[in-house]
Amino acid sequence: MQEVDVQDAWIFINKIFPILNSSYPTVYTKEEFYKAAKIIKELNLTCFVQDMVILKIETSLRKSIIPKFWSHFKSPENIKPFYKFLKAIDSLYEDYSKLLEVINALDMLRNINNFDKPIMGEMNIKNSLKLMLKSTMFSQHHTSYDKVISYFYEEALLLEDMDSFSSKQCPICSLLDCSNCETLFLKANGKLIEMSLLGPLTDQALTDLIYYYINMHIQKTCKDNFDTSYIESFEKWLDRVIITWLKKIYCHSEVSDRSIADFDKKLRNYLYNTYTKIRINQLFNIIIEYPDSLAALEDIKICLPKTDLKQYLIKKLQQAVETRLLHLGVSTSDVLTAYVAAIRSLRFLDPSGLLLEVITQPIHQYLRSREDTVRCVVSSLTEEGPNDLAEELVRGETVLCDENTIQDSDENWETWTPESSDHQPSKIPATKRSSDIISMLVNVYGSKELFVNEYRTLLADRLLCQYSCDTEKEIRYLELLKLRFGDSQLHYCEVMLKDIVDSKRINQHIKQDPNYKNQEIPISTMIVSAQFWPPFKEEKLELHPKLLTQFESFTKGFETLKGSRTLCWKNHLGIVDLEIELSSRTLSLSVSPVHATIMMHFQDSNRWTLNDLSKTMQVPPTVLRRKIGFWQSHGLLVENEQDIFLLKEETSEDNIVQDNIIIEDYESESAMASAQDQRDEELQTFWSYIVGMLMNLDTLSLERIHQMLKMFALQGSSVEYNIHELKIFLDKKVREHQLIHSNGLYKLPK
Amino acid sequence: MKLTIKNWTGVATWKWVANDDNCGICRMAFDGCCPDCKLPGDDCPLVWGQCSHCFHMHCIVKWLQSQPVNQQCPMCRQEWKFNNK
Repeated sequence: MQEVDVQDAWIFINKIFPILNSSYPTVYTKEEFYKAAKIIKELNLTCFVQDMVILKIETSLRKSIIPKFWSHFKSPENIKPFYKFLKAIDSLYEDYSKLLEVINALDMLRNINNFDKPIMGEMNIKNSLKLMLKSTMFSQHHTSYDKVISYFYEEALLLEDMDSFSSKQCPICSLLDCSNCETLFLKANGKLIEMSLLGPLTDQALTDLIYYYINMHIQKTCKDNFDTSYIESFEKWLDRVIITWLKKIYCHSEVSDRSIADFDKKLRNYLYNTYTKIRINQLFNIIIEYPDSLAALEDIKICLPKTDLKQYLIKKLQQAVETRLLHLGVSTSDVLTAYVAAIRSLRFLDPSGLLLEVITQPIHQYLRSREDTVRCVVSSLTEEGPNDLAEELVRGETVLCDENTIQDSDENWETWTPESSDHQPSKIPATKRSSDIISMLVNVYGSKELFVNEYRTLLADRLLCQYSCDTEKEIRYLELLKLRFGDSQLHYCEVMLKDIVDSKRINQHIKQDPNYKNQEIPISTMIVSAQFWPPFKEEKLELHPKLLTQFESFTKGFETLKGSRTLCWKNHLGIVDLEIELSSRTLSLSVSPVHATIMMHFQDSNRWTLNDLSKTMQVPPTVLRRKIGFWQSHGLLVENEQDIFLLKEETSEDNIVQDNIIIEDYESESAMASAQDQRDEELQTFWSYIVGMLMNLDTLSLERIHQMLKMFALQGSSVEYNIHELKIFLDKKVREHQLIHSNGLYKLPK
Repeated sequence: MKLTIKNWTGVATWKWVANDDNCGICRMAFDGCCPDCKLPGDDCPLVWGQCSHCFHMHCIVKWLQSQPVNQQCPMCRQEWKFNNK
């Protein structure tokens, strides 16, 4: 009896749990079920049956259902991932439904038999099924499957973001006005929610996808476009496209509100971060286009406090400056333009000036190493036309170089904020951080004198080159500069300008003087006050006798006009306008006196040897040859034999270099002694100290000489020399045989 | 070839014809100006004494005003007389 019962019981149990026999169709009546339940209870097999069923479910999940599910992901390439995933979900859902039936039966059994042993720690055995499904699924998960999932969502997202496509074509099935795909997509999501798989299976892929999508959208929208603010439009876009889409996905889920809120926070944060990063990477370009890129700067300003990317900004911008600005390929004036733009835009970004200081520090250092910086600054200050620096100059503010100037900040103490600590602590207190661009530029050098000196040299060059130059304009600029740099600094320049004005008057006076014979060469003279002009380059030149008499009579005229004063001519300076008539052409030129003198000599005699001419003009042959080269290039002189030059009257047609063109082509060298020369002259004053040292101590190293000079000679003097300059100076002395350098030691020659 | 010089702009520095470079009183260059002046030349002229010493006019006048008793040349202590040559 017992035997039969067991046999029967097994058949009954199999009937209601066919899974035990590895088959699914479950066809039983309620009576059958109750009967089976009763048998199980009688035999006290509830626990055993439950364990068996769960084991079978687990096995079938592990062995068939899940591998089948994942196998869809590996299906051939030509199937669109969208359909792969859809199919996988469908088949999984089908299997899940079958399992659910089994579970339902089990649940019923438990209810009837009052059995409540938890399965997998869950009282609700439907959750147990979900748990099993999840765990088995991820135990067989492979990272490459994520790609399919993210493709699936990407295509769905494209479907949602239709307005970014011009055509009405569905990106999935390529049909026009397709609504089927979206329905399929939503259905699949519904199934996932039902299986509680939406979160675990898709979250990562979904987040990655959306991040990528946001990134793409921002990149695409704000590429090379700095004149619009995007923050608002991006937020709106996020709401309109992404969040709406997410809501659609999660709409059936019971936790939808929380998930969406989480996503929303996460995505908004990501949006800001991404946008700020992209803008920061563009920051160099934004700065360059400063006034036009204000909108982009405003965006960064809004984003920075929200994103904590200040350090990133500093690092990136410094890198960009380093690679794009501070190298030899960029001209100094471009560096300056960028610098001015940087000052303005960074000041806008960070009014405290800290950011500015950190970023511009390397630019300062670099500008200091460029030789023509001062010249560029000064010339752009005084240049005509629209120019940042000139505008700044006109705005007018006193240059604050003096470390001792104490600025009383009149800002309200209640609005004071401590300096942010994320920069290196700087020595300069905030109040000293000058905001004035010209002050900052001047401070690159740390001294107004250097600036003023450079301006003086430039002015001198300009005045000497064009006698007729617009003194009115120069005076105006001078007044502007005075506002900045103070009267005393620019006093010399004032005298220089006055010299020019006076010269014109004196010239007129002398020419009206009956004693002054107007000769064949009309001359005008710039009479300058040597003490106030920068030192002239000294060159020897003996002028043509015709001219000398002319100069003499001019000097006489001056002496009678101005008692007790006389003139010292700088023969090599000035400009000569001349006209050369040849049989075939006429040349009009503005040349230097040396060039003019050469031609005057050739007019007297059309054949000169280099040596004779050199003696007559008292110009060294090498220099003279270079100057003759100018006329050779114009086809007027030829070197017939070595060192013998001939005047070439007739130019054969093919030899004409420039025909009937008015050439203004004197060498554009500065008439002023170069800064290097002046510097050398200053160092020369220490030469006697150095000689004295070496006489007493026999040999000295470079460092020792520098140290001793610093201790004894340089103390109190305003000049400052670094060891490098000293080395150059000493090396020059070695070349001149005034010093011997061996084994790193200097000594005097015996 | 015919060379016509249409205009020759020369450059010359002016200087006082004096027997020294610097003013004995202010030690500034004659061709510059005395410490009180800004512009050299006509605005800050030189004067010669009969003793042949010369100074910036402003300097010697100041000096003479500071001498209550004898008007002497600060260089040679002879009585100062302007040399109106």
